[in-house]
Amino acid sequence: MQQIYLIARREYLAYVGAWGFWLSLLTAPLLLALFAVGPLLAGRAEPTRALAVIADNPRDAEAIAAAFAARGADALPKYVLVEPPARTAEAIALWLTGAKTVTIEGEARPLFAALFVRNAGDTASIDYWSVNLTDRSPSDLAVSAIAGRQRADALAARGLDAAETARIEALEPRLAQYDPRAQTGQAVTSRDRAPYIVGMVLAFVLWSAVMGVANMLLTGVIEEKSNKILDSLLTSASPLQILIGKLMGVAAVSFTLFGVWALLGGSTLSLFGGGQSGFGAEVASAALDPGLLGAFLLMFLGGYLIYGALFLALGSLCDTLQESQSLLGPVFFVLTLPILLVGPAFQNPSAPLIVGASWFPLFTPFVMMMRAPSGLSFADFAGPMVLLAVTVAVVLVLAARVFHAGVVNQASAASFRRRLFAKKSG
Amino acid sequence: MTDALALHGLVKIYGDKRAVDGISFAAPTGKITGVLGPNGAGKSTTIRTIVGILTPDEGRVDMFGAPLSRESLRRVGYLPEERGVYRSMTPRAFITYLARLKGVKAADARARADQLLAAQGLSAYARKRIKTLSKGMAQKVQLAAAIAHEPDLVVLDEPFSGLDPVNQRGVESLVRDLAASGRTVIFSTHVMEHAERLCDRIVLIANGKKAFEGTVAEALAVVPASATIETEGAFDLAAALAPHGFRTESGGEAHGHRKWRVALDGPDASRRLLAACASANAPLALYEPARATLHDAFVRIVGEGVIGDME
Repeated sequence: MQQIYLIARREYLAYVGAWGFWLSLLTAPLLLALFAVGPLLAGRAEPTRALAVIADNPRDAEAIAAAFAARGADALPKYVLVEPPARTAEAIALWLTGAKTVTIEGEARPLFAALFVRNAGDTASIDYWSVNLTDRSPSDLAVSAIAGRQRADALAARGLDAAETARIEALEPRLAQYDPRAQTGQAVTSRDRAPYIVGMVLAFVLWSAVMGVANMLLTGVIEEKSNKILDSLLTSASPLQILIGKLMGVAAVSFTLFGVWALLGGSTLSLFGGGQSGFGAEVASAALDPGLLGAFLLMFLGGYLIYGALFLALGSLCDTLQESQSLLGPVFFVLTLPILLVGPAFQNPSAPLIVGASWFPLFTPFVMMMRAPSGLSFADFAGPMVLLAVTVAVVLVLAARVFHAGVVNQASAASFRRRLFAKKSG
Repeated sequence: MTDALALHGLVKIYGDKRAVDGISFAAPTGKITGVLGPNGAGKSTTIRTIVGILTPDEGRVDMFGAPLSRESLRRVGYLPEERGVYRSMTPRAFITYLARLKGVKAADARARADQLLAAQGLSAYARKRIKTLSKGMAQKVQLAAAIAHEPDLVVLDEPFSGLDPVNQRGVESLVRDLAASGRTVIFSTHVMEHAERLCDRIVLIANGKKAFEGTVAEALAVVPASATIETEGAFDLAAALAPHGFRTESGGEAHGHRKWRVALDGPDASRRLLAACASANAPLALYEPARATLHDAFVRIVGEGVIGDME
């Protein structure tokens, strides 16, 4: 035990003392923050878009203007309706392509879009011109506005006054969502949805952490191999003790990371979470749920032990990082797949694909983290976890063997590949 | 007294090559034993098996009178052939770390590190990172780390390689001091001079097999001493010495002198040869007795082709 402790301690101090640790410490929160505020910042950074409406019927232009005004001053991206610089599509193309500009907020800018609204009896058509082919929000808003105007005209023709028409237009059922598993019988609120968001964020943190620390282990063992230090250690500790010591040391590094991240996250949530109420506070409350945190630590342990042992074993076969790339390519590929499941798992944690993926031990930690908030049954939880525990044990035993052969130079990346190839062809 | 180390029919196989092929020898307690052989002979594989890094395919290693165990390895100090240190650690921290891995208490390990660094003249570098030290200094640090826990058996794999002559002498002195303090030292080398100067016993390994085991004197006895003689004119020294029982080989002629090589058998052979030359009125131009070297001995034992790069 003393050897394992000393090896773990040295590993911990070596990593915490390196600048790479501090880089990792800041990278994940920065990435998360970027994901959270990136779209908002991008929207704010975009200049106000100029729209021109050319309508046969002035009421259509008014309806569209009212619809854009109803979006609110804070809605992004910002639109402003300008006096059409030309009345035909051919002519206005010069402003749309930027050959000519309109002046908005004191700056010359190209026209973002032009809407040609035509009427023929009860029917109306909109020709939407823009060089932006992907953002359909202005045309959708115009369609909705013209449809409203058409319905209002039709109802007026049938004798309804404007107030009555507005009342009918405003008709909408009240929606309340309920969860049959909830004992209170109260409708679902954002407080109930917060754990799913926290689960998704924790799954991402888990994935980043496993990816990061497994890489630390890999580079560490390759460095020790190239430094020829392992022979000195092997007379004092067994390969299994070295393997476990390294895993424990880097696990301690991870928990330090989590501690700092939790501190940063907690401070951020308390600063921007709206105090005692609001969605931020609900997310903070969900994030501090002992069940969810416990699940996170359990899943981290499983994922870390599997991938950490795998990276250590494969790293022990290599003398350089370049050499390790060819061996680790498939592992990185497998490790990347769970992140693709984040979206579907958030939409439906009980989808067959997600449930199936949670039974695949290499995915279990990440997928179960996403499924954890959905209230798993005992079988749903215990089955994949037992399989994960068995896989962890098997991987540790196999990794220790490979690590032993690797560190005493009785196996290499080349011999490992030869063996795999021989097994495949045999 | 029990041998500190005994190897019994050690075999280590890599693929279809028997890197170590049935090697047996013993290292007496408190003595210096040299494991000699050319590069690729199997010295490092033997050494790595002795210290438990490799597991033998056949045979066994006994240490301190019992089969090799994790417990007995705590009493072993090992300097690997391929030098390795944690370059971002300080010498003091590195020596302390390895000593603690061998079971030394933290305070004792630190004190021992300070003491060893002072002895090596490295006190000023004790708290600098090893990566800032020269290669020779880093090697000294590693050697200090190998003996920081005051081991009973010190195993050094090619301890002189990569060192300049001054540092080589320093290591020789350290090896002598270790033996003088009652420790058993085993070291491998392909440089005969070190072995000749230091070893109480030597083991020659060639092609994975033990070719010789014994004292330096026993090894030298394999090759008799000889004398090189030059005579003036056409004098036939071989004919003159034959009645006195000396074997003489002609070494050709140069600058009007004939060269001869005469085998010296027995403790007073050199004195008897000179007396024989005098009685035959041999016109001596040069008399140079030559003591056999370990290199000569090993050439005789394993052949010139096998000796390879041994110096």
